Amino acid sequence: MIAALAPTLPASYNSLVPVTSQTVRVKVLFFGRLKEIAGRGEDSAEIAEGASIEHLFAAFTAQHPELAPFRASLVASRNQEFAAWSTPLHAGDEVAFLPPVSGG
Amino acid sequence: MTAPSHDDQIFLTRDAIDAAALIRRVRAAEDGAVVTFDGCVRNHSHGRPTLYLDYEAYESMALAKMRDIAAEIHAKFPIHRVAIAHRLGRLQIGETSVFIAVSSPHRPAAFDACRFAIDTLKRTVPIWKKEYFEGGAVWADGELPPMPAEAPAAKTAS
Repeated sequence: MIAALAPTLPASYNSLVPVTSQTVRVKVLFFGRLKEIAGRGEDSAEIAEGASIEHLFAAFTAQHPELAPFRASLVASRNQEFAAWSTPLHAGDEVAFLPPVSGG
Repeated sequence: MTAPSHDDQIFLTRDAIDAAALIRRVRAAEDGAVVTFDGCVRNHSHGRPTLYLDYEAYESMALAKMRDIAAEIHAKFPIHRVAIAHRLGRLQIGETSVFIAVSSPHRPAAFDACRFAIDTLKRTVPIWKKEYFEGGAVWADGELPPMPAEAPAAKTAS
């Protein structure tokens, strides 16, 4: 399954995967201390259609290794609903990485 | 979740919360009780004096989750109206950060619903506060919202 394989392939994988494979753009939001670490609250990413939220986070930790230790104490959302890390992503999705909430 | 009753008032604001206005908003002739929760900025945290707090939110999702809470307490308790307001931005000591008002014909439902609402808000609404002290600032310890179960079959809701 492409979604499961794509993020482990080299950066040049686009030339290797079947033409049916698609790259899609998703919107990515960071909050709280993650925003400070990432240096911005909003970004976008190109990922394989169907790649999971877990893969998306891994792509950002490759860029910002200091994000990695927070993985265990984060939840994710997709389109404003809490979402499992295995949730597959599609074009135009809005993903957010959310530290423990402290409103009130 | 169903949409909250149109008589409810659920919002985020960068201005001071007018508690009296929210109480007036929820109370009606058929109500025998209004229970409120006034969450305010405390002057200390973990033994240190606090200078002020900065609140930020994932605003669209926070509002959706606050509306979900209103819908949930309407479903669970025989209440009449709900107001939930959360403030964002910089708050000074003593200011109201969150205000909840629940009206009902009889007091037990209003007490129970108000308690349920603030407890659920603190666990599920994506809002964060940063606490400023002399010489530094920290993100407040928070609660991790419950995550949906991991689904190996990768089936997701839309």
